[in-house]
Amino acid sequence: MTVSSSTTEPLAAEGAAPRPPAGPTSVAPVRRSRVDLLPYLLVAPVMIFIACLALVPAVFTVVQSFFKVDALDPPTRFDGFGNFTRLWHSPAVIGSIGNTALYVVIGVTLSTVIGIGAAVVLQKPFRGRSLVIAILILPWAMPGVVEGILWTGIFDPNAGLINSVLSSLHLSDGNAVLLGQNRLLTITLIELVQVWQIAPLSVLLILAVLQLIPGELYEAAQIDGCTSWSAFRRITLPLARPGIAVTMVQAVIATLNVFDQPYVLNGAANTGASVTMQTYFISFQDLDFGQGYALSLLITIVTLLISLVVVRLVYRRVEL
Amino acid sequence: MKRRTGARGFGVAAILIWSLVPIYWAIKTSLQTEADARAKPAHYLPTNATLDNYATLLTGDSDVPAQIRQSAVNIVVECGAATIVTVLLATLAGYAFARMRFRGRNVLFYAVLATMAFPAYTTLIPLYRIMSTFGLVNTYTGIVLVYVSGFLPLATWILHNYFASLPVGIEEAGLVDGARRLQVLWHLLLPLARPGIISTALITFLFAWGQFLFPLVLSSDLSTQPLTVVIASLQGRHVVPSTLLNAAGVLAIIVPALLALAFNRYIVNGLLAGSTK
Repeated sequence: MTVSSSTTEPLAAEGAAPRPPAGPTSVAPVRRSRVDLLPYLLVAPVMIFIACLALVPAVFTVVQSFFKVDALDPPTRFDGFGNFTRLWHSPAVIGSIGNTALYVVIGVTLSTVIGIGAAVVLQKPFRGRSLVIAILILPWAMPGVVEGILWTGIFDPNAGLINSVLSSLHLSDGNAVLLGQNRLLTITLIELVQVWQIAPLSVLLILAVLQLIPGELYEAAQIDGCTSWSAFRRITLPLARPGIAVTMVQAVIATLNVFDQPYVLNGAANTGASVTMQTYFISFQDLDFGQGYALSLLITIVTLLISLVVVRLVYRRVEL
Repeated sequence: MKRRTGARGFGVAAILIWSLVPIYWAIKTSLQTEADARAKPAHYLPTNATLDNYATLLTGDSDVPAQIRQSAVNIVVECGAATIVTVLLATLAGYAFARMRFRGRNVLFYAVLATMAFPAYTTLIPLYRIMSTFGLVNTYTGIVLVYVSGFLPLATWILHNYFASLPVGIEEAGLVDGARRLQVLWHLLLPLARPGIISTALITFLFAWGQFLFPLVLSSDLSTQPLTVVIASLQGRHVVPSTLLNAAGVLAIIVPALLALAFNRYIVNGLLAGSTK
């Protein structure tokens, strides 16, 4: 590195230097005479990657949504809202929007409830807690596709765990076809598999916030004769709101973009196809990229909007 | 007090059952013969346990085992390369963003963070078309480039937070000694930041290991398809015995499961550092 290393100069007064976003520590001396290149060299690779493979593609998605980009119908040409109109008239797309709405509602609710419940269980230290947390994050660490395979064995109409338990308990003949027939049941079960994957992160995020609540609050509540339920409602829940908000945003992003689990568990069947699956089919099977762009754009906008609403509704700044 | 520990015991049991039963069921199935696995009523324990399915996958020379083995090599190469590049670049940028002052820093840093707000699949189609323009579809390079671009923002953010949390004044001490700034980074800060770097590497690796839709689109044959894509295609064909499929699934989760169990503290810390905004 031949970059300037003006090491002994004191911190140069940078008149209009912006404040650091998080770190209060800035030591790189700056020479007034010429620009210090080292920080730019350090961040350049990341910025180039993000510019070329995130920002440019994102702009592509927005712009090309309004173009006819069809490998089977060249050339690429401006088409106004044509892609959006065609999406609107596609029963498969409309159906997948309904399915995805169900995935989001079920997934966000379940992962939040499980997140809060398990975090409360783990709130106070006990012997073996770190082992429980290690086991808890196992499903988070695994590929969604393989989780689909694992749960196929649970849902299988012949030898699946659910059917076996039902027939062992003489509750049914144990041949129930669980996936692919009833839409609500199919979506609920598929979403259960995704919740299995995303709930561990919810637990961790909420648990981290619960760790900040001082124990004296609970002791005081107990002295005042609060039951543990009202302590939960009046102390735990309100103070956990920042963590719950982050959790719900993560769940919204994950469920709105669900792909692996329905793809593996239910294939292309419209009882469970999600919007992301439709995007994949439209783009890479029908080769109509324009419509794919338009649908991607819609998912992105909806994801951002719902995340914003969740933060507005749930997030409260907490001072402890 | 007693009642409360009872409730906690119940809660802990529920967490363990919820997390482990599907994994247990897959391991159980993978240790059975197809006839035993299809038996009714089901055996809840692996009767006549056998490692035949694993032996078939690891040494068999028919179509399916060969595909599993090749895709296992692919996933290791792709995840390994993506992790190394991501951590290397994110460490440099995270350090600069956290501990150096330069014009335009905030704008650049917010640009990095902003990309995290978008769902990953926003860029699926354009990335495919860019890769296809440059002839990088179905190459390790193409897949690794896409992975790295996807994981860099979170990795940079985690490492930025880690560097920012290190005590003030370390650099001054080193700089007064006359060391160059990169030497200060290398000899003083990197050792201190090691836990953050390990966290970032683990999380990046696990994310890469779990990828499915991106490699499904970006790799068209066995020369680059990772394990996840091959396993999903076997499932789709309905001709592969469920016992063999479950054995393949167990092989695909051994690496992430061992990493999660062995390094859960690093992973948990990294995840928390990455999501408290």
